[in-house]
Amino acid sequence: MTDAILDAPINASSEPASARARTGSLFVRYKKITNVGIKSIYSHGLRSLLTVLGIVIGVAAVIAMLAVSEGASYEAQQQFRDLGASNILLKSVKPVEVEESTSRGFGPPQAIVYGLTYGDIDTIRLSIPGVTNVISSRIVKKNVWNLGNSMNTDVVGTAVDYPTSRNYNLRAGRFFSEAEVRDHSNVVVLSDEVASVLFPIDNPLGETVKIDSDYYNIVGIMESEGFSNLGQNQAGSSNSAPSRIFIPITSSKSRFGETTTRQTGGGMETETVELHEAIIQIDNQETVIEIGEIIDQILERRHKDVDYAIEIPLALLRQAEESALRDQIVAGAIAGISLLVGGIGIMNIMLASVTERTREIGIRRALGAKKRDIIAQFLIEAVILSGVGGLIGVVLGIIIPFVISAFWGMTTIVTAFAPILAFSISALIGVIFGIYPSMRAADMDPVEALRHE
Amino acid sequence: MTNIESNTDLQHGAARLASGVSTARSTVASLKDIRKTYYMGALAVEVLHGISLDFYAGDYISIMGPSGCGKSTLMNILGCLDQPTAGKYFLGTEDTSLMQDDELSAIRGARLGFIFQSYNLIQQLDVLENIEMPLFYQGYSEQDSHEIAMGLAQRVGLQDRVDHKPFELSGGQQQRVAIARALAVDPLIILADEPTGNLDTKSGAEILKIFDELHDQGKTLIMVTHSDELAERSQRWVRLRDGLVESDDRRNS
Repeated sequence: MTDAILDAPINASSEPASARARTGSLFVRYKKITNVGIKSIYSHGLRSLLTVLGIVIGVAAVIAMLAVSEGASYEAQQQFRDLGASNILLKSVKPVEVEESTSRGFGPPQAIVYGLTYGDIDTIRLSIPGVTNVISSRIVKKNVWNLGNSMNTDVVGTAVDYPTSRNYNLRAGRFFSEAEVRDHSNVVVLSDEVASVLFPIDNPLGETVKIDSDYYNIVGIMESEGFSNLGQNQAGSSNSAPSRIFIPITSSKSRFGETTTRQTGGGMETETVELHEAIIQIDNQETVIEIGEIIDQILERRHKDVDYAIEIPLALLRQAEESALRDQIVAGAIAGISLLVGGIGIMNIMLASVTERTREIGIRRALGAKKRDIIAQFLIEAVILSGVGGLIGVVLGIIIPFVISAFWGMTTIVTAFAPILAFSISALIGVIFGIYPSMRAADMDPVEALRHE
Repeated sequence: MTNIESNTDLQHGAARLASGVSTARSTVASLKDIRKTYYMGALAVEVLHGISLDFYAGDYISIMGPSGCGKSTLMNILGCLDQPTAGKYFLGTEDTSLMQDDELSAIRGARLGFIFQSYNLIQQLDVLENIEMPLFYQGYSEQDSHEIAMGLAQRVGLQDRVDHKPFELSGGQQQRVAIARALAVDPLIILADEPTGNLDTKSGAEILKIFDELHDQGKTLIMVTHSDELAERSQRWVRLRDGLVESDDRRNS
């Protein structure tokens, strides 16, 4: 081998030397450059680690933030789905103008008449195709008694489909039956909260509670999760108060009547409301929002005042999704800033590395390295740095959501998309912030570089 | 002299034998009225005032002269690390004065071997990897460069140290690695800049012995040196003074 080289005829052939060179594969070239990059990074272990910290934090933050917001939006969606994505909720609202006019009036208090009527419901049921069922409810506030224990609660007079329409579950017993509704039976289903107040020790099933002067048989207990406070706050539905009991709507109408009288600050206030709430079930989720608009038009024609409200859980869900997206963008921007800072850190350290290795650059240039070889070398080094930082960040970013879930009980979801996105960004940052230092390295004058101490 | 066409059917060592009659020998490099001006702000300083030299295959040349005579500048131009402000430099058959940066890199890598006073090895790489480096930029396959580098390591007596890092070697050993590296692509010219300047006498002698052997094998060597003792070994002496060739002598034997 040695002799072959040294005893070769004097190389004065007219054929360019480069043509003699056997061309190694591109992969081998990059493998070699990559090895050099790894060696250089490894030789400054601590410095390299500190450099990539920015990228690590940025990538971990992107993944963790996406996981948290993904989890939050999943939770919100779940809650709205519980309200029924193919439902439309109607409820009666006391109109403001009416309230004012009566308070100014003289003479005996007049009953305020407002809200949804049986006529509204029939019109909706009959005129809109796609409406499969309407569950109307009356809600009256009453004191409910069991011996000495009492509780002021919403007594919801409703139909048999009520629990299924709202995805509510029974803890024990049953909901009242079609027959009991028809017969105006005195049966009641208690919510968990009410049951625990009225029957602190005994099993309430089979017992009775007293409302006004009537006794009602307890046939079932409702699970409390069903009345998530979300219904109250976000969906704004008034019938989702946690303490409540359910009786057949027929019983409510015949026992309590449609006119209720309340003691208010200024005196007695009487109001007449046929129905307080209605759940309209639609056969196809696609048309829910359209049908909601149609119902709005129907009610607008039928009512002088705006004494009703329409809630479409699906529309609320969409809003929640939109706001979740906004949250994600904000979170993404914050994480992006962290990545940017990480990128600047990499640029900083690459510039230091280029200055430190000026001599090496000069040597390589003297030995035949083209500018692009030098660029490739430093660029690959920058990408390795950011890539390693990205990998560490991905690992951390996947662990952090689990920790958050474990300690704060938040739902977090790590999608496959988040780590891939975060890692790609980190690699891209390596390229972007590696370009300038690499160009600087390549643009050095070989003579100056060789002279550098 | 205008015939700079390279002679392909030169016999092994022929250049060494054909002394005296320059026109009969193959020219490997040719400088034609080379001028170099440096600009320092508004001030222009001409360092080389028109140097014309021809280097022949198998020449062993010492370039000498006091500090500031333009030796380094001339070496940088010969090494294609710098370009003349005026004049032409032919390396082999190619006119380097017209070359772009990439072509200059290519010709440096393929046709020139550099030996520096301070060895200029890359500290993170071991001996073998340092020797392989010019081959890498020439696109040699891993296997080929490995074979060539191993052969050269053996040639300079460092076959047992191929996996050592430069800082684990003595100065003489480091310079031998640099020589092996300079030989890797089998260059047209080996350029040595004060090759023994950082070495003790014994190590320096070893390096010079290798140079003698290379000369015997017909390699073309151009060496910049201050030392007359070193120059004694060569066969042609070019003296520079104030950016001009003062004398150009050849051993006649």
